[in-house]
Amino acid sequence: MTVGTRILSVEDDERIRTAVKLALEDEGWAVEEADTGEEALNAFQRQPSDVVLIDIMLPGIDGFDVCRAIRRVSDVPIVMVTARADTHDVVAGLEAGADDYLTKPFAPKELSARIRALLRRARSSDSGGSHLRFGDLDIIPDEGVVRRGGEEIHLTKTEFRLLVELGSSPGRVFSRETLLERVWGYGYFGDGRLVDVHVRRLRTKVEADAANPRHVVTVRGLGYKLQA
Amino acid sequence: MSRLRVITRLLPRLGLRARITIAFTVGALLMSAVLAGATLGLTRQNLLDQRESAATVRTFRNASSAEQQIPGRSDDDERRADPTEVLATLQTPTGSNPILEVDGRWYARAPEIGEDTLPGALRRTVEAGQPALMRFDIEGTTQLAVGVPLDDIDGAYFEVVSLGELEETLESISISLLAAALLTTMAGAAVGWWAARRVLRPLRGIGDAAHAIASGHLDTRVEASDDADLATLADSFNEMAVALEERIQRDARFASNVSHELRSPLMTLAASIEVLENQRADMPDRARAALDLMVADIERFQQLVEDLLEISRFDAGVMHLDLEEVRVDELVIQAVTNSTDVDVPVDIDSDLAGVVVKADKRRLSRVIANLLDNAGKYGEGATRVELRKRGDDVLIAVEDDGPGVPVDDRESIFFRFNRGTSAGRRRGIDGVGLGLSLVAEHIRLHGGSVWVEDRADGQSGARFVIELPAEAS
Repeated sequence: MTVGTRILSVEDDERIRTAVKLALEDEGWAVEEADTGEEALNAFQRQPSDVVLIDIMLPGIDGFDVCRAIRRVSDVPIVMVTARADTHDVVAGLEAGADDYLTKPFAPKELSARIRALLRRARSSDSGGSHLRFGDLDIIPDEGVVRRGGEEIHLTKTEFRLLVELGSSPGRVFSRETLLERVWGYGYFGDGRLVDVHVRRLRTKVEADAANPRHVVTVRGLGYKLQA
Repeated sequence: MSRLRVITRLLPRLGLRARITIAFTVGALLMSAVLAGATLGLTRQNLLDQRESAATVRTFRNASSAEQQIPGRSDDDERRADPTEVLATLQTPTGSNPILEVDGRWYARAPEIGEDTLPGALRRTVEAGQPALMRFDIEGTTQLAVGVPLDDIDGAYFEVVSLGELEETLESISISLLAAALLTTMAGAAVGWWAARRVLRPLRGIGDAAHAIASGHLDTRVEASDDADLATLADSFNEMAVALEERIQRDARFASNVSHELRSPLMTLAASIEVLENQRADMPDRARAALDLMVADIERFQQLVEDLLEISRFDAGVMHLDLEEVRVDELVIQAVTNSTDVDVPVDIDSDLAGVVVKADKRRLSRVIANLLDNAGKYGEGATRVELRKRGDDVLIAVEDDGPGVPVDDRESIFFRFNRGTSAGRRRGIDGVGLGLSLVAEHIRLHGGSVWVEDRADGQSGARFVIELPAEAS
C-alpha cells in the first residue's frame, strides 16, 4: 500500500536538509522535510513515516521533545543527530526514545546504513521465534507482543529486538559488543551507551521494580542476561 | 662586620619556616638569658645584703658583749676575763668565726682563721677606729669579714663569715635558671616552628592550588579566609585563577566554536559530494577529476575539524574518557582490522592473552588508527603491529618501512602542527600534523606514554610505542 520507505527529516539548516534529502533519495527512499519541531509533529501526524531523522538543535520545540512526542504515539525507528558524541546529548536523546544516533558531520552512507539496520530490525521483529517465557514475562516474537502478568507491554522495535535477543539464549550473558552487533548492526567499536540506555528503558517497562531488576540482569564486567 | 655579612648571606638560603623558627629560638634564648641573668643578679644581691646586715648586726652585738666582759685598760688586770673564754661565750652561727684583738694580741676561735686571714685594708681601717665590712677570698671561697673597733680596750672585734654556702645556693639557683632558659629556648623554637607552620599553611594551600591549576585543574580555588591579611592574598589568587580559567576557556571555546560552525557547511558538503559521486559515471573526465579532488579534501577537512574539536576539548579540560576494562589483544586486532585496508600483521605476546587495560575503546582504537595512518603517510606503510607485556605495562608498537624519525625530531613530532622536518617533503602534504599530538594527549589521559624509536630489528623505519598500565586482574 505504501510506496517504498518514507523518511521524515527534521533539520533547521536548509542546505544540510536539502543535501541529506538528495543523498537519501539516491538510496531510493522518499524524504519528507521539516524545519521545525512543530512542523515535524504535524507532518508525522498527517502521515507517519517509516524512519524519523531528528536534529537535536532545533528552534522552538527541540529534538528531545520531538522525539518524546513521537514516541508517545509510535514505535517508529528514530535516529537523532547530535553535535558531539561525548556530551550527555547522546544519552539524553536515547533516553528520550531515539533508537540510534549520528554525530555531525556524518557521511550520508553511514546514515543510510543505520536506516537500513533499523528497517531490517523493524521488520525482523515481526517474524520468527517461538513463545518465550521468563517468570511473569511472556514474549511472543511472532506477534511482536510482550506481556507481564498477562498484561501487554508496549515496547519500541529496538527494545523488543533487544529483549528477544537476550531471550534467545536464556541465562546466557551477552556482552555489549554482541548486543550492539546483533541488535544495531554495529561492530566492536559501537557505542556501548546505546545498549546501556536501551536496557535501562527496557527495565522501566518489563520490570516490576526497575531499580532492582529481576529479569534483565547486569553481569558486572561482562554484559547482560535475561532470566526468569 | 664580615661575620655578620656571612650570616646575612646565609639567611636567605634558608626557608621562611626555618628563618621564623630561628628568629623565635634566638628571641627566646636572649629573653631567657636576660631574665635568668637578672634573676641571678638580684637574688645574689639580695642574699648578700641579708647576710651582710645579719653579720653586721651580730658583729656589733658581739663586739659590745666582748667589750663589756673585758673592761678597759684602767681597770684591774685580774678582773679581766680571758679573751679566749670571752670568745667562747659569743654567739655565732656555724661558718662564722670570731677574732678578737686585745692590746695587740690576737685571739681566734678557729685556728685556721686568725688575724692573718683578715685583709690588711680591713684591719687598717678598723684599727684606725672605723667599723668596716669587706669581702675577700680564701682558697676560692668568698668570705665576709666585719670589723668593729673596741676603743675601750684598745682592740678590735672581727667576724669572718664564709659565704661558701651562699655560693652553693646561688650555683644551684643558676643551674635551675639555666635549665629553665634552655627549656624556654626550646619552647621558643617549638612555638616558632608551629607559628611558621601556621603562618605558612595558607601559603602552602595557595601553592597546592597553583600546582593543581598548572596540572590542568583550572577550576581550583583557594578557600576564602576570615583573616584580613590572608583574605587579600586568597582573593587576588582566586581572581587570577578565574582570569586564567576564563582566558584558557575562551581560547578553547574559540577553537571549539570555530570547529562547530564548520560542521554545518561540512555536513552539506559531505552529503552533496556523495550525491555527486552517485553521478560519477555520467561525468566527463575533467569533472570527475575535480570531484575526486573535492572528495579527498572534504575528507581531510572533516578530519581536521574532528581533530581540532578533540584538541579544543583537551584544552578546555572537558575531555573525559569513557573508560572500561578492555582486553587489549582484542582491541588492537579490532582497531587494526577496522582502520586499514592493508593486512598488517599483529604479533601478540603469548602472556598477553586476556590482559585487560582500562581504556576508552573508541579513543584508543583511534590512537592506533592514527599511528597506522601516520605510518602510511610518512613511513611507506605499517609493516607490523606488536603487542608485548613489560612488567605491569602493555606495549603496543607500530613499525613502518620509512626512513625513521631523526633523533632530534623524536620529541617535537608529537607537538601540534608539527610533521617533523622530513615528513612533509616526500609526498605532498597529506596530514595537518594533529594526529600524533592527539595520540600523545589521548595516551596521557589514559595514564600511559608514547614515544618513537628505531625499529627493533635494525631495519630502517620508525617504531611508535604506546605504553599503557595493565589492570591487575
